Amino acid sequence: MLRELAPQVLGALVRRHGQFDACEDAVQEALLAAATQWPEKGVPDNPRSWLMTVANRRLVDQWRSESARRRREENAAALDLPVKGTPSAHDDTLTLLFLCCHPSLSVPSQLALTLRAVGGLTTAEIASAFLVPEATMAQRISRAKERIRASGARFDLPPEPERAERLRVVLHVLYLVFNEGYFTSSGAELQRADLTAEAIRLARLLQQLMPGEGEVVGLLALMLLTDARRAARSDPDGSIVPLAEQRRELWNRAQIQEGVALLDRVLGTVATGPYQLQAAIAAVHDEAASADETDWPQILALYEVLEGVSPGPIVTLNRAVAVAMVSGPRAGLALLGTLDADERMANNHRLEAVRGHLLERAGDTVAARESYLKAAKMTASLPEQRYLTLQAARLS
Amino acid sequence: MKYMIMTFGSAEEALKHHSKEWFKDMIAFMHKLDADLKQSGELVYDEGLVDGSQAKTVRFQNGLPVPTDGPFAESKESLVGFWLVDVENEARAIEIASKIVAFVKAPIEVRRVADAPPEV
Repeated sequence: MLRELAPQVLGALVRRHGQFDACEDAVQEALLAAATQWPEKGVPDNPRSWLMTVANRRLVDQWRSESARRRREENAAALDLPVKGTPSAHDDTLTLLFLCCHPSLSVPSQLALTLRAVGGLTTAEIASAFLVPEATMAQRISRAKERIRASGARFDLPPEPERAERLRVVLHVLYLVFNEGYFTSSGAELQRADLTAEAIRLARLLQQLMPGEGEVVGLLALMLLTDARRAARSDPDGSIVPLAEQRRELWNRAQIQEGVALLDRVLGTVATGPYQLQAAIAAVHDEAASADETDWPQILALYEVLEGVSPGPIVTLNRAVAVAMVSGPRAGLALLGTLDADERMANNHRLEAVRGHLLERAGDTVAARESYLKAAKMTASLPEQRYLTLQAARLS
Repeated sequence: MKYMIMTFGSAEEALKHHSKEWFKDMIAFMHKLDADLKQSGELVYDEGLVDGSQAKTVRFQNGLPVPTDGPFAESKESLVGFWLVDVENEARAIEIASKIVAFVKAPIEVRRVADAPPEV
């Protein structure tokens, strides 16, 4: 509940005082105070106004210092805004999300700021999820806020002509948060599973705020349909289990149903975008009772549409897998060959990993082994490195 | 993305080629670089190491681990320091390394830390 209130309280404070950065610090302190006091003293009758009061007090404390007051006067003009009517907490949360994913910020800063200001996570939690010291993350967040101030951004929804492009950035940030947390095994990495849950929560929130946006629904569905396989995706020792070998009884049926229902609602009713299409592909996998029963012709057709909507080497790579399943490994390998000259794939391990897999299926174990080894050298993920090395060793 | 940026050298070689003033400038340069990387929220960790002549390498000899004197690589230049940075992309890691190279005029190794999640 605390985390749900965080963006609402922050939005209201920024509306009242301007100064996104100071308000954000004050809300963070209020959240920390709540996290220590509420379990002891009980949750107050009106948690939202409790948080507002505490955050307000922190702001006032801060302004009492002379230098802070001067800064406020300088900044007030930059971030103070004309309040049009009474904006709802709903719009404020959405505005915050757009602000945190401001295009002037680097991607790591967008992720960190979104998790703190909209997600209500503490700096320590974010630092631990990204495996960096708290001081590093604190500095990154304060730097991001400085940058937003310097960019002259206002606390308002982006104007209509920019809205679609800005939403694309927001969706990408949520997608990256999800991706960062998706793989988990044990120990310190458990923190990263929390990131997946947080990404889903934020996507759900965004979907409630923008119910008519097909790609928002698509992203939420994609996350749910992908995360549904998490329990089956790795062994207890952390090693990767490929899709075809996963124990499907471990898949989360409720999440699959929710993802499919979301997709059914939007597919065909709004403009089809890449997240919806990727979600539709994930749904075909999730709905197959066994790997052998996967409807590969449908997956291939969806990849063809996806390539038309959002072409790129990764889409071609995935389409090659589908082609191989429908028309045999040699046909897939021929399509993969078209990627060899693509510079964007020069350091991507997935090209060689897929090639190894298809070569093995075609019976060329010597070349398959070589491809697996090349892929193992290129990946930046340790579980993947182990998996690919094992594939190569198996063929020795 | 995290990258390890590694510098190599030895006290003996450095003394051969550089003046006292250069060492002073170098220390100031390194302080400034660390401050900048901290300020940008990119520095995860950094350390300098004692001279390679003080290193021990534990080798496997005649079926037993045996400590021997000296650094692992058979060269005058061994690892003397490293930065672990968390940056937006490889280009940024190379930009940081290039700043160091422009000053020390010696090669620097930039290598990605294998901590990325597998792609969805």
